[in-house]
Amino acid sequence: MSVDQGVFRPASVDEAVSVLARLPDARLISGGATLVAMINARLIEPAALVSLAGVDELHGITENPDGGWRIGAMTRHRDVAAERRFTGTLALVQQAASLIANATVRNMGTIGGAIAHADPGLDYPPALVAADAQIEIASGKGRRRLPASEFFVDWYATALQSAELVTAVHLRAASDGVGLYHKLARVSGDYATVSVALTMSSGVAGIATRAAMGACGPTPILLEEANALLSGSPGESELNRAGELLAAAADPVDDVRGSAEYRRLLIPRMLARAFTEARAAIGART
Amino acid sequence: MSQAKRRSVLTVNGEQHHVLAPAAATLLDVLRTGLGLTGSKCGCNHGVCGACTVLLDGKLARSCLTLAADVGERRVTTIEGIAGDLDFSAVQRALVESGAIQCGFCTPGFVITLTELFARDPHPGRETIRAALSGNLCRCSGYVKIVEAAEHLAGGVR
Ligand SMILES: Cc1cc2nc3c(=O)[nH]c(=O)nc-3n(C[C@H](O)[C@H](O)[C@H](O)COP(=O)(O)OP(=O)(O)OC[C@H]3O[C@@H](n4cnc5c(N)ncnc54)[C@H](O)[C@@H]3O)c2cc1C
Ligand code: FES
Ligand code: FES
Repeated sequence: MSVDQGVFRPASVDEAVSVLARLPDARLISGGATLVAMINARLIEPAALVSLAGVDELHGITENPDGGWRIGAMTRHRDVAAERRFTGTLALVQQAASLIANATVRNMGTIGGAIAHADPGLDYPPALVAADAQIEIASGKGRRRLPASEFFVDWYATALQSAELVTAVHLRAASDGVGLYHKLARVSGDYATVSVALTMSSGVAGIATRAAMGACGPTPILLEEANALLSGSPGESELNRAGELLAAAADPVDDVRGSAEYRRLLIPRMLARAFTEARAAIGART
Repeated sequence: MSQAKRRSVLTVNGEQHHVLAPAAATLLDVLRTGLGLTGSKCGCNHGVCGACTVLLDGKLARSCLTLAADVGERRVTTIEGIAGDLDFSAVQRALVESGAIQCGFCTPGFVITLTELFARDPHPGRETIRAALSGNLCRCSGYVKIVEAAEHLAGGVR
């Protein structure tokens, strides 16, 4: 590992973890798109930086033997947005990445940096919760994995403990079906006002749907009860009821992107639009 | 950390520079105050406006969000190097000819962004151009002339 006046460049995850354990005030830097903006605004003044750029295992997307995928934490949004192998229900992960900011920021930002930052307006969190992704975390004790729904715990807060880092995101093998990510933003490239991520597949018992709402509370909102209503052979009343449940569970803020009340109105509408589109796409295939 | 100065070597527009700057200095700081290359502008200093856009190994980057310490071996291209030995590059000429410049503050960022686009795709259509420019803000022009300039360069409206 090279160290250069406050910038550590570990060559492995173990080295990175050991620096973090030794220097609790050091900050990891991945794409820097958020971290450097915070330094510029004097919101933080890290004692040292730990750059993950030289840790090979964190870069790139690999297919697991079971057909699932491992996205290394340093994988840029650009590379996920260009990933054509995420088909069927997994297409929503590629779509979410392609709607992040603009081409320049997608060249810089990484999936690990984004989810560790856990801004509720980000595009990955709802997409990864709907896709039932697992987050791989490294610490001095080794590796552990958490479902995305347990990784995001509060406003800008994750299940990461001190001296832990995100090493990868694991996606289960795609099912035949549809994965959709819809983002409503004031202008192209802005953070979401509200977003919806949804997967739908069809089987003997009808359709199976998983939906998560983004940017309407501290963490993505996914309700088993709403998913149950949206599965089987749901009609309009089930769809409406699911929208009401999600809106009731939301805890949106008033900000420049919209009032809390506006966001609550958007939730059932965004859900219905995504659901209807997914159902039409599934219908067209069966 | 931010007080300690560190030495590094940056390759900017084909020339190597030895720079001494705080570890937390951004590439934009180093370009403007360290190397006197003031073509890259500081509009927002947090990634939103695109006025500081440069190329790192030919890829777009916000220099305000890039630590100089993190550039490493990547080659930096700024607006000062975009025309090579010519007076103006084709992109710059297209912007001038279409009257796509008012105050000019945003122009270096637009030139860099369009240069990257035309290097990948010599004949982009209007939607491709608009998507490529969506990360650059201009307070004056209303964008119409900038998009027109790019369309002319691409060989007319497709
Ligand atoms: C102008 C602009 C517009 C944006 N618009 C959007 C948008 O529309 N949608 C969207 O989803 N995102 C958006 N973003 C966020 C961006 O896409 C990045 O996801 C985000 O900046 C974080 O990624 P990074 O790799 O740059 O992280 P960094 O800035 O390097 O790090 C962010 C934080 O995470 C920590 N960290 C980094 N890596 C790890 C790791 N592996 N393990 C644990 N902790 C880690 C850092 O210490 C830091 O606290 C935008 C950013 C900018 C600047
Ligand atoms: S100054 Fe870098 S994007 Fe505005
Ligand atoms: S010409 Fe003035 S900001 Fe674009």
